Amino acid sequence: MLNQEVKRGSAEMLILALVEDRPRHGYEIAKLIEQRSEGVLQFHVASLYPLLYRLETRGWIQGRWVEKAGQRRRRYYKLTAAGRKVLTEQRQTWSDFFAALDRVAGVNTA
Amino acid sequence: MPDWKQYVREHLPPLALGAEREVQIVDEMAQHLEAVYEDALAAELSEQDAFNRAAAHIKDWQLLECELVRSKRPIVAPLINNRLVRESRIQSQSRTGGIVMGSLLLDLRYAARMLMKSKGFTAVAVLSLALGIGANTALFSVIDAVLLKTLPVKKPAELVLFNWLCGPRGLAYGIRGNISPDPASGLRTSTSFSYLTFERFRDNNQTLSDIFAFASLSQLNVNVDGQPEIAGGQLVSGGYYSGLGVQPLLGRTITTDDDQPGASPALVISHRYWQRRFGSDPEVVGKTINVNNVPFTVVGVTPREFFGTLQVGEPADLSIPFSTQPQVTPHESDLNGPWFWWLQIMGRLKPGVTREQAAASFEGVFLEAAHEGWSVAVTRFPPRGESQNPAPRDVPRLRAASGSQGLTELRNSYSQPLTILMAIVGFVLLIACANVANLLLARSASRQKEIAIRLAIGASRGRLIRQLLTESVLLAILGGAIGVLFAYWGKDLLLTLRPWGGGDLVLDMKIDLRVLGFTMAVSLATGLLFGLAPAVRATAVDLTPALKDNSRSVTRGSRSFLSKSLIIAQVAMSLVLLIGAGLFVRTLRNLQNVDIGFNRENLLLFNIDPGLNRYERPQMGQLYQRLTDRLEALPGVRSATLSLIPLLSGRGQTRSVSIQGRASASDDDDTKVNTVGEHFFETMEIPVLMGRSLNSHDDAPAPRVAVVNQTFARKYIGDENPLGRRFGWGPETSGQIEIVGVVRDSKYVDMRTATEATVYLAYRQSVPRFATFIVRTSGDPLTMAGSIRDAVREVDSNLPLFEVTTQSRQADESLTQERLFATLSSFFGLLALLLACIGLYGVMSYGVARRTNEIGIRMAMGATAVRVTRMVMRETMIVVFIGVTIGLGAALAGTRLIASMLFGLLATDPVTIIAAAALMIGVASVAGYLPARRASKVDPMVALRYE
Repeated sequence: MLNQEVKRGSAEMLILALVEDRPRHGYEIAKLIEQRSEGVLQFHVASLYPLLYRLETRGWIQGRWVEKAGQRRRRYYKLTAAGRKVLTEQRQTWSDFFAALDRVAGVNTA
Repeated sequence: MPDWKQYVREHLPPLALGAEREVQIVDEMAQHLEAVYEDALAAELSEQDAFNRAAAHIKDWQLLECELVRSKRPIVAPLINNRLVRESRIQSQSRTGGIVMGSLLLDLRYAARMLMKSKGFTAVAVLSLALGIGANTALFSVIDAVLLKTLPVKKPAELVLFNWLCGPRGLAYGIRGNISPDPASGLRTSTSFSYLTFERFRDNNQTLSDIFAFASLSQLNVNVDGQPEIAGGQLVSGGYYSGLGVQPLLGRTITTDDDQPGASPALVISHRYWQRRFGSDPEVVGKTINVNNVPFTVVGVTPREFFGTLQVGEPADLSIPFSTQPQVTPHESDLNGPWFWWLQIMGRLKPGVTREQAAASFEGVFLEAAHEGWSVAVTRFPPRGESQNPAPRDVPRLRAASGSQGLTELRNSYSQPLTILMAIVGFVLLIACANVANLLLARSASRQKEIAIRLAIGASRGRLIRQLLTESVLLAILGGAIGVLFAYWGKDLLLTLRPWGGGDLVLDMKIDLRVLGFTMAVSLATGLLFGLAPAVRATAVDLTPALKDNSRSVTRGSRSFLSKSLIIAQVAMSLVLLIGAGLFVRTLRNLQNVDIGFNRENLLLFNIDPGLNRYERPQMGQLYQRLTDRLEALPGVRSATLSLIPLLSGRGQTRSVSIQGRASASDDDDTKVNTVGEHFFETMEIPVLMGRSLNSHDDAPAPRVAVVNQTFARKYIGDENPLGRRFGWGPETSGQIEIVGVVRDSKYVDMRTATEATVYLAYRQSVPRFATFIVRTSGDPLTMAGSIRDAVREVDSNLPLFEVTTQSRQADESLTQERLFATLSSFFGLLALLLACIGLYGVMSYGVARRTNEIGIRMAMGATAVRVTRMVMRETMIVVFIGVTIGLGAALAGTRLIASMLFGLLATDPVTIIAAAALMIGVASVAGYLPARRASKVDPMVALRYE
């Protein structure tokens, strides 16, 4: 498990990235993070939803209740235009950051 | 499968995000947990393990609540930082404080947010509560100091103060001190005893661990470094301080060694006197000062809070041993006589002894001393005239009361006016409470939907009531806090105003823990009082209609009944206060318009007490003459004179009179007496109607003469010519004094009392031991005070002037209490009226808003504006009239309690009552008319569309 600070800093970008291609609901987001990180990153309800709401309040993602046939009503979050811009910026920032880490500490991010 | 929605609802504290948002959040999280749970089951975990895995997702609900609330805030950087700090603090508190404290803090925080949200409401509510609580706190601090405080001594509950109960013909030949009727038995009671009784008690004591005595010495001439001044003091026995357990602040207290004949005179001064007269000089111990021309050594200073054991507000600046009394007040040789009862005896009970046992143990000694004193008196003052065969004497009974407050007679006499004032401010607080309750009711109506949703998503009713009560208690505490500020200013004002109706009291009055405790209790009680009904009412919601958009009809009937009852109560209470105020105002007006019978303007008064400087009677007469001559010679002085008792000072001398040649009407032969100087009538501008005034030839060798007033002539002489008639102070001496003049009636003791028969004696024929000088000046009398002081000093430099004042101020001061009651009751009455009308206006406006739809229909159906106005007004006036009727009933029952304080009108004075009721109805009509007019302006089209 990564330490809290790193996780917190990166969490915003993770969520934005996951809803980039299509809207997803909260549980799906949590599961995807866990799966794709192979269990290294884990989000609990208590940390995920406040984060989602915060991103929503900032206008980076937008939540909407959707009822699909045969499923229960769920809240799907999709990336907004502002969110897309932030995501691009954050990707750049993290990329610069890792490159710097590599140069200084020999951390290979590739 | 567990109900995850229920699970989240139970754990998540209420969010301040609006109910709908809250529902969504709960929904979303519940779904998430449910999905985790289902996945776990699919992975073939047991139900319990699956549940645990889901539940592990949210461990800290409080933290979650904070995060959620924070996540929805608009982003304002500094605000967020502050809130972060605050919230993390709250979190850590709630973690350490357990669930109850944690949720209480959350409740408080939420309540504070709700109050901040409606600032206008909060301001009005807090201010009206602050006025109510402040007035109560200020008055309580006075009542505490005057009526409730115990002596600041060791274990005051163990102290006993002896008193006796006796019929009208007791065994005392003379009594100094308070004698009051005992309500239970109708007999007389007093705490005064003879010195002999004290000695006998001391020598035959088995039930008390300490026994000591004290007596008031109202005026002492204290000369410090050549500066004479009057101070109050007390005589104490040697065991006084050790018995009370009072430790000195400086030096030592008086001991039994000081209280021995021949001991060198020692005295103890109070902290107050030490500050005032010696500037808190630490070197004061060992200093020699002169008291009534006897040199005393100051041996100690008593602690700041200890004022002695005399009547409340009567501080003993100096305490001297009983053994020095013959030197200090040699003219009072009676005091040593076993027939003269004048000192108070206190003791401290031994462990396990009750007051009754203590009294019983001294009963025999007491009666023995009383009989002994009486027999000495009978031999020394043989009875005259018809009293050759004296009737049997009434035998007194000894009792022991609590001594924890010192002497209490004065406290008791202050209790009635203070109780009335407390009732008035209590009423104001109740009205304020009713008002806030009504505001809360109206507000809870607008929060109905929110409350319904909270209930719908599973909040328990108790939980919601707790939240609502937290809000009202928070309001009350805010009100209380500001109220303490008001009280802090108000109490000094009250001390200046002296609502107890007495003199200038020296009180240990501060806003201390007791007072703050009282305020706290009052605030909490008011918070619950005005909060409970609205909270219970607000949470009694029928969910289905409340959740629909139109929530207007929910609980309408009972809510408006409750708020109307509150209005009725307010109207009734305000009316009672208004009637009380009217009665007090008219009393003051009546008293101010009383014809006092003399000209009170441009008169300067001051007192001297040459007896304290060891003047003997003949010298005193000469001194008075010299002083009068010197004063009259001053430029700006038109005339000067003296009297034994100043007019309108609340004091007066009464004697039984016997008229020569007239059968004694023994039931009412009391007459007021004053001893006056030459030019008294000229100086006071009291017209001489018949005969002559008193002059310098009416001296000791000349035949004794007197001037009487009209009432005296009418009452005792009738239609005959009073000039030349004779009277005296007993049947044997009825030919002693000749009436030489009749003057116009004038007020003597105070303005309230109807003019009584009054005799004026010439001061050269009965020289008074002390006197008030009266100087009529041509300009402002106070500007003359300096030169008058110098003139007196020229005549005798060791003669202090005291109580320098003007006659009009004296007259004003005699109305202090009346003026205060008129002012305070008017202020509070109008405040109550204002509060009641705000309440009425609020409720009626709300009612009209609620009925917009109905009114629109009525108007669409053809009702005219006038009809609509009348309809709404009728509703208002019904409420007002019910309130007025109840108020009138309560006033008729209640004002009897203040009947004794009124003057020139009855407690049921119809003018006052009608005027107050008319004022109430008039102002209430205006308050009710505004909503009614708004109702009549409703546009039917708008109203019908308005859903």
